[in-house]
Parts: sequence; C-alpha cells; structure tokens
Amino acid sequence: MRIDARAKVTGDALYPGDINLPGQLWMQVLFARRPHARIKRLDTAQAERAPGVVHIFTARDVPVNEFGLGSKDAPVLVADEVRWVGEKIALVVAETEAQAEHARDLIAVEYDDLPPTTDSRDAMQPGAPQVHPAYPGNVIKHIPIRKGDVAQGFAQSDVIIESEYRTPAQEHAYLQPEAGVAYMDDENRVTVVVAGQWTQEDQEQIAHALGLRLDQVRVIYPAIGGAFGGREDMSVQIILALAAIKLNRPVKIIWSREESMIGHHKRHPMWLKSKWGATRDGKIIAAQVEIVADAGPYMYTSPKVLGNAAFGAVGPYAVPNVQVDAYTIATNNIVSGAFRGFGGPQAHFQAETQMNKLAEKLGMDPVEIRLKNVLREGSLLATQTPLPGGPVSLPQVVQKCADEFGWQVRGLGDKETRRQGERPSPLATGYGFAAALKNIGFSFGYQENAWAKVEIHGNAEIEKVIVYHGAAEVGQGTHTALAQMAATTLGVSLEKIELRASDTATSKSSGSVSASRMTYIGGNAIKGAAERALKKWTDEERPAMAEYTYLAPKTTNFDPATGKAKPNIAYGYVAQAVEVQVDTETGHVRVVRVTCADDVGRAINPRLIEGQIEGAVIQAQGWTIQENFQSKNGNVLTSTLSTYLIPGILDVPDRVDSVIMEFPDDDGPWGARGMAEMPFIPLAAAIIAAVHDATGVWFDELPLTPWRVLEKLKRK
Amino acid sequence: MLPTPSLASFDYVKPASPQEVTKLLLKSNGAARLFMGGTDVFVRMRDGFFAPQFLIDVKRLPGMTAIKFGKRAGLAIGAGVDMNTIARHPAVAENYPLLVQAIEAVASYQLRTRATMGGNLCNASPAADTAPAALVLGANLVVHGRRGERVVPIEKFFVGPGKTAMKPGEFLLRIEIPPQPAQRGAVGKYLKLGRNAHGDLAIVGVAVLGYPDKKAKSGFAFRIALASVAPTPIRVPSAEKILSASAITPEIIEAAADAAMETAKPIDDVRSSAEYRKAMVRALTKRGVMEVWEAMKGSGVFHG
Repeated sequence: MRIDARAKVTGDALYPGDINLPGQLWMQVLFARRPHARIKRLDTAQAERAPGVVHIFTARDVPVNEFGLGSKDAPVLVADEVRWVGEKIALVVAETEAQAEHARDLIAVEYDDLPPTTDSRDAMQPGAPQVHPAYPGNVIKHIPIRKGDVAQGFAQSDVIIESEYRTPAQEHAYLQPEAGVAYMDDENRVTVVVAGQWTQEDQEQIAHALGLRLDQVRVIYPAIGGAFGGREDMSVQIILALAAIKLNRPVKIIWSREESMIGHHKRHPMWLKSKWGATRDGKIIAAQVEIVADAGPYMYTSPKVLGNAAFGAVGPYAVPNVQVDAYTIATNNIVSGAFRGFGGPQAHFQAETQMNKLAEKLGMDPVEIRLKNVLREGSLLATQTPLPGGPVSLPQVVQKCADEFGWQVRGLGDKETRRQGERPSPLATGYGFAAALKNIGFSFGYQENAWAKVEIHGNAEIEKVIVYHGAAEVGQGTHTALAQMAATTLGVSLEKIELRASDTATSKSSGSVSASRMTYIGGNAIKGAAERALKKWTDEERPAMAEYTYLAPKTTNFDPATGKAKPNIAYGYVAQAVEVQVDTETGHVRVVRVTCADDVGRAINPRLIEGQIEGAVIQAQGWTIQENFQSKNGNVLTSTLSTYLIPGILDVPDRVDSVIMEFPDDDGPWGARGMAEMPFIPLAAAIIAAVHDATGVWFDELPLTPWRVLEKLKRK
Repeated sequence: MLPTPSLASFDYVKPASPQEVTKLLLKSNGAARLFMGGTDVFVRMRDGFFAPQFLIDVKRLPGMTAIKFGKRAGLAIGAGVDMNTIARHPAVAENYPLLVQAIEAVASYQLRTRATMGGNLCNASPAADTAPAALVLGANLVVHGRRGERVVPIEKFFVGPGKTAMKPGEFLLRIEIPPQPAQRGAVGKYLKLGRNAHGDLAIVGVAVLGYPDKKAKSGFAFRIALASVAPTPIRVPSAEKILSASAITPEIIEAAADAAMETAKPIDDVRSSAEYRKAMVRALTKRGVMEVWEAMKGSGVFHG
C-alpha cells in the first residue's frame, strides 16, 4: 500500500490550501487579463483605503523583479508591458479573503492595448513585431539536427510521405489549484509552504527575486494535488514570500480554478512539417522535420521541451538521414512550459503518424514496419550516438504489445473478415498502433544529480530509519517507491522507514520530480546513502548516518550546428495498441481499449506503475480527443472546467491493459528506468491510426473534436 | 477555519404560504430569488451573476415535495421535488419513461439529489434537459401569483434565454403532465450530445415521443422537441407533420430530420459551432425517430 494512502483517504493529509496559521493575512492577485498592453496608469489609492487592506504590492516593491526556469526573463509583477493574459499587475493583502478580493477590484489600471502576436509562424517572419527584447526575431531557441544527407535519402526513397501536423495547448487540470502560505520561521527565514516539483528551484527563484541569500529562504512542500509539469515554474511562491517578509505576518493565497487556468503555463502548441522517405521494403531512409513551438512571451522550460521535441522528431527509429529544425517562438499567447512528456508527445504524434502513413502506402502492417526500423542495441540516434543503459528493448516491447492486444488476429490484415456480417451502423471500429521512447532525466549536458541522507537508529537491531531527501510527492507515489528502496537496501520492513522530505531546511536537492527521473536518480541517491549507512551500522556506529550525492553519467548538449550529442543517461520504451469506435454521424470518437507495453527496467511498485499508465493514457486521450483549449487574439476562452472539459469517468477506455516489461537498465536502481511520462507519448498517433482504420481518413490536427471529425468524413 | 467561497451575504426567508411568497416577491422588486435545490442559484451567486438580498426557500410549502399520479388525472410533480426522487417514483418509471431518461441526462446523480425539475424549467435555459421531455409530454405548469393559481401550458412557458411567462410575484407550484396519449404502445426517447459522455450541458438534446394514431396517415403520431438550438427549448411541428402525413420510410425520416434541422436556430459558443449543432439536430432526430419507430413496430401493438 502507498505510505500516504491512509492520511489521504482519511483527510489527515494537509494540502497547501488546508493550512492556516494564526494571524494570517490573505492575498489576491490582480491579473492583466489582456494579452498585450502597456500600463499607462496604475492607481491603488482607492484600494488602499478599502476595509481590511494591509498592503498593496506593485512592481516597484519587488527587489529583483524577474523570474523564470530557463531564463529570468519574466517580471514577477509587471511595471510597463503586459505580454500575456496571466501577467500579475498587483497584489492585495488584506485581513480576509473577501476584503482582498474587494480591494483588488478597486485598483484602477489604464492600459494602452497593443496588437497581440498570436501566430507563432507569423512571428517568425521578417518584420514581425518584437514580443520580448531578449529574443530577436522572436526566436527563443533554434535546435538543428543534421545526420547524413536527406536530399540523397529522399532521392533513394521509393515512397515519400509529406504532412503538416498541428497540436493544441493543454491544461494540466491538477486536482488542487495553486495555493500556499508564507511566514517568517523561528530562524527568521521567509518560509513558503506551497505545492511545487523542486523545493530548491523554488528556493532559488524566491531568493533571487527578493535579493536574499538562499539560506534566508525556506520552502516546504506538504501534500500536493498533482503537478504534471504545471508546477515547475513559479506561480504563488515568490509573491507569497514577498508579502510575508515585508509584512512580517503569515500570508495565504488560494487561486480559484479560473485563476489557475489563466495563471500557469500550458503544453506547447506545435506546428510540425514533416517529410519521410522509405524504400519499397519499408526501411526509413530519410526524415526531414520542421517544428515550430509556441512558447508564449517567456522562456520558462521551452528549451528543454524543444530539445525533447527535436530529439523525438524521428520517433524511436534508426534513420540514416535526418534533418530537424526545431524552433520555439515568442508570442503573446498564454505562456507554455513543462507538461508530461516535454515535447515528446507532439514530436511522436508526427513521427508515428508518418510511420503509419508509410505502412499504409507500402501495404505493410504497422507492427511489421516498426520492427524493421526501431532502434536496437548499437543503433545510432539522430544525434549520432548509441543509446546508453543496456538493452534497447524496443523490438521486444513492440512485439509484446502486439501479442497482448491480439494485433495479428485483429489487425489490418483481418479488416475484411472483421467487416463481414456487420449490420449497417453509424459506428465504425478501428485499430491503431504506435511506439515511443522517453529519456530519463534532464541531461542534454546538465549534470544529473540527487542527494539523500540515511540515519539508522537502534542498538542490536535496526529500530528506525530516517531518510532525508528532497523529492516532491505530487501524487505519483514517489515517496512510497523511495521508502521501498531504502527498506530493501537495509533489509528492514517498510514501517521502519521514516521520510523527512521536501523541506529545504532539512534536505538538500533531489532535483525536480519531472522528466521521469525521480525513481532513477533519487532512487540511486537513496540506495547509495543507505548502503553507506549500512556499512557504518555493521561497523557498529550508533546511530549510523551517511549522506550521498548520486551523480549520473555525463551527457552533452546538442552541437549548435549538427545537433550531435550524447543527450541522455537512460531511456524507457513503450508501445500502444488501441481500439476505437467512431460515430460517423456525430463525429464522436470513443477509445474502447488500450494495450500499453512499457519497459520500466524494474518495477519497483507495479501498482503505482499501473496507476501511472492508466492516468497517462486518460490524460493523453483528453489531449487527443476531448480537451479543446481555445484562445482568441491571445485571450483564453476556456478558463473553467465547464468550458475546458477533461475526460470524465464515462469517457475513459473500457479497458487499459498495462503490460509491464523488465529489461534492467545498467545504472538504474535495481535496473529501474523512469516511466511516468512514456505511456502518454504514443497514444495520440495510435488513436489517429485507429480512426483512420475505421474511416479511411487521416487527421493531422488535434484535438479530434466531433465537428472536425465530421467535416473531414463528409469531405471524404 | 475553512476558507469560504465569497458569497455575498443575503437573508434566508422561509415563508409559510404561497401568498406570503408572492407578497415577498412583489415587495422585494427583483431583490429576491427563489431557492429550491440551490444547484444553480449558489453557483451563479458565487460567480457574481446576481446578488439577491433575499433567498426565498419554497421547498417546504404545502405540496411542493409531493408526487401524485392518477390514471385519469396524470402526474403532478411538486416544484420542489428533487430529480432523483422523480426518476425512481414507480408511477413515473412506468408511465413516463421518457421523463426518467431526460432526468438521467442532467449533470450527475449527486447533483440530482438536490436539483429539481421545477428549477430546471424555471431557469429557462435553452439547454435544460427536462424541457424537451416536458414539451413533448404536454406538461402544464401551475404557478401561484397575485390572483392565486393559474396554469401555463409548457408551450407558452419559455419566452427567451432565462425568461419565462411568469409575471412578477408568480412562482411555480407544480408540474402537471397529462396521461400519455395512448395507454399502450407509446415510446419516448431522449438523445443528448455533450462534449463528454456524462455531466456536460447539452450541445444538442432531442426528445421524441411516438404513439399509434389511427387518424394519422402513417398510423403514428410523433412529437419532437429540441434543446440547446434556439433561444428557448422548442417543438418542431414541421417534422412531426411529415411523420404523420404518409407511411414512414427511411426517406420520410430523413425528411423529418431535415425539417428539424431547418427549424433549429442555434448559436456559436465555446461548446460547439452553430453549424455542428444544426448537423446534430438532423443526426439525433433521425436516430431518435428511427429508434422510436422501430420500438413501436416491434411492440406489435399497432401495425399502421
């Protein structure tokens, strides 16, 4: 059982919104709610006189008014130019939440509205308005990859598929909207209790903006209601600390769902232009892909997302000739950032659909063409290096997924038999297949690392083990997996493990819970610390204590001209087969069944893995079919959960069969690979292939809203 | 201490008689709102759509939570009866299965333990799921006002989005639904299309009621009503006429579906384009009529 299950089921677990401190004040944010404007006048006088108001903060109150994960290019509070709807203009702190809200609405702001830049490809054109002074030509980052000679590759190709794909923004829609409370602790540190993904990163961002030393800032994570990448950049962290330190009283904030939806970043919308060539026998010999990602006005984690998109542009295949140009472009749309898969889902939707179109054109089975082209041991990536970490299990994963789904029985070859004897019905059934790989960890030259400390207490026998680490439990179960790994190393029962986690005052950095990295990298740190503590224990030290920092093997970033790199330390491999039903009269697509085979290296906790697979499949289904993030001229039209619909319980597939495979990684703890993102990645392409199988129509743009489906079916 | 959603303060009033309610409504001059299940009122108050000075709780007035049924009189549902209670009432399930279908299309089971059909109709949302069923079942709405009770036929009840034919001081007491047009052989179907399978507001809702009718050339009479495709829920007499005027064939059903589509005057919004709504009126009308027709043919009660 999860170690946090009882507290979460009984309600004992406290989330940031549940925590209240004596004498606390309440904060409300005045958001710009316009995509592009210059502030002409900002008048807080009337609001300051409103009942209960203690203080109103504006840009001039922020000591170093900048933040951002990739680059500190965004203001904490806007002084002059508004660049997206979620910019913060002012903060109101009052005795009650209602008073803060009342006073917020009394702040007078006069804007000069400016035309927003909302099309990322227009923004790349010469002479386009400049969105942010740091990004000439609006290019935040360009990643080229060059391998072989694509022109020659296409010349040798018997078939060529060219397509243009579009993918939408996606909202994380975690259960718990942003919330937190900040106070001065008894060591006079400004302390922020908040939901995030990396305590030390929050600490660094807060300290920088407030002009403080790191040790003057403390970040604590209580229970966290989901993250999915959406809590990687700053939301309420800096503003809470700013108010608590200035007012020397606890300050609390809870964002409404609507504030959460306009206030934090989304998955990058992307445009992907793709040309793939293959020989008659189904061997891919050239792939040329151009990717334009809409970043919104600030960097956030865009370069990392773009790196994974560029890397994933050729899918999980060994392609001899590759040309990729990936751009992330500044616009005045809602800012984009980290979201489960980090650009992998967009890139693979393109790559895997290209693959399925090639299979169709060549009259080959989608599984067969994949087995001909997947990366194997010794294959070279587009970045011209082999895959590290031991077995490259893609052939086995693809085959196993097909077998478990019954692909050979139900696949394309069997279509005629399948259709015989059916009575005429508007419901059409189809089957689709796709695969993917996902890197574990940030890497791309970043030295992956995690710290842990283990204390073993007792005399003759181990009575209690205290494990210090920094990993955020965002609901995925990482604390359970880490505790299991400590218990296994020490040969004690899980009950003896006590975690002290996610407090910068007691733990050093475990890094972020993202990029499927914590089981692998955090696990190695805990294993290392536990082994060292155990040695001291056997040497009769009481208590036996050891710290350990795991440093992963070195990687390199993309070469700026060729993209050549040793980009990652490890990978996970995944394949999915799906059955869909298309209502050809209403355009509704229902996912009936999904088989998802994942090589997780070693399943530390199989039930948590199944939870991750099922959750990722449903979230990916939402992105592919139902969720429909809509903006108009930079304004968000879908800022509530009644306008932005995520899959409900009756929308999820009838069956998700998780097939857990274990080909141990060389360096992962007990051979474990990371796995939490990969079941998201192939699903869109698998669904698109299944819809094509059912209807004969390819859909190159997501989501599959009923209207879009119906329109194309009519034109068929 | 728990954070409270910022509802503006209001006075909660619980009058003892309908006369008192009417008096209060007239006196408050728009500053009062009726409160039954609260599933809509509280959400709108939180979102600032309105901030009433008084909330008048009418659920406990005599008869407001009663369901009565008689073979001749038909069904009477108190305006304060929650939807789940209506749906599981044996007389409703037996005699008005279409109403049960419509109720079960509303939001979620949890919400329906509070939400009332009276409130659903009085909100006069074009998307109200119980409205098309009430239209084809020929419901009468008994309202109380300055001059006591009066009956408003459902056809005249909806006058615009959020607007009903009730006059100042009037409020709904009960919904009366006459006995089904044919004791045996009537079949009803409510088809709802949302953006997800459960819980969404209708993009389009179509209620179809069919029954054997010797006077009709086709041998069957149909009533069809639509939600979410006009300023109010509407009947579509043009489609109904086509289906009774000549023997029913797949082509006739297509023609009726086309007529329904022509009647619909939907709008574009964040949930759907107008164009898609029109197409769906056609698709769901066709599907609904087909299902009802096949069920009637299959019942063996009447062979036109």
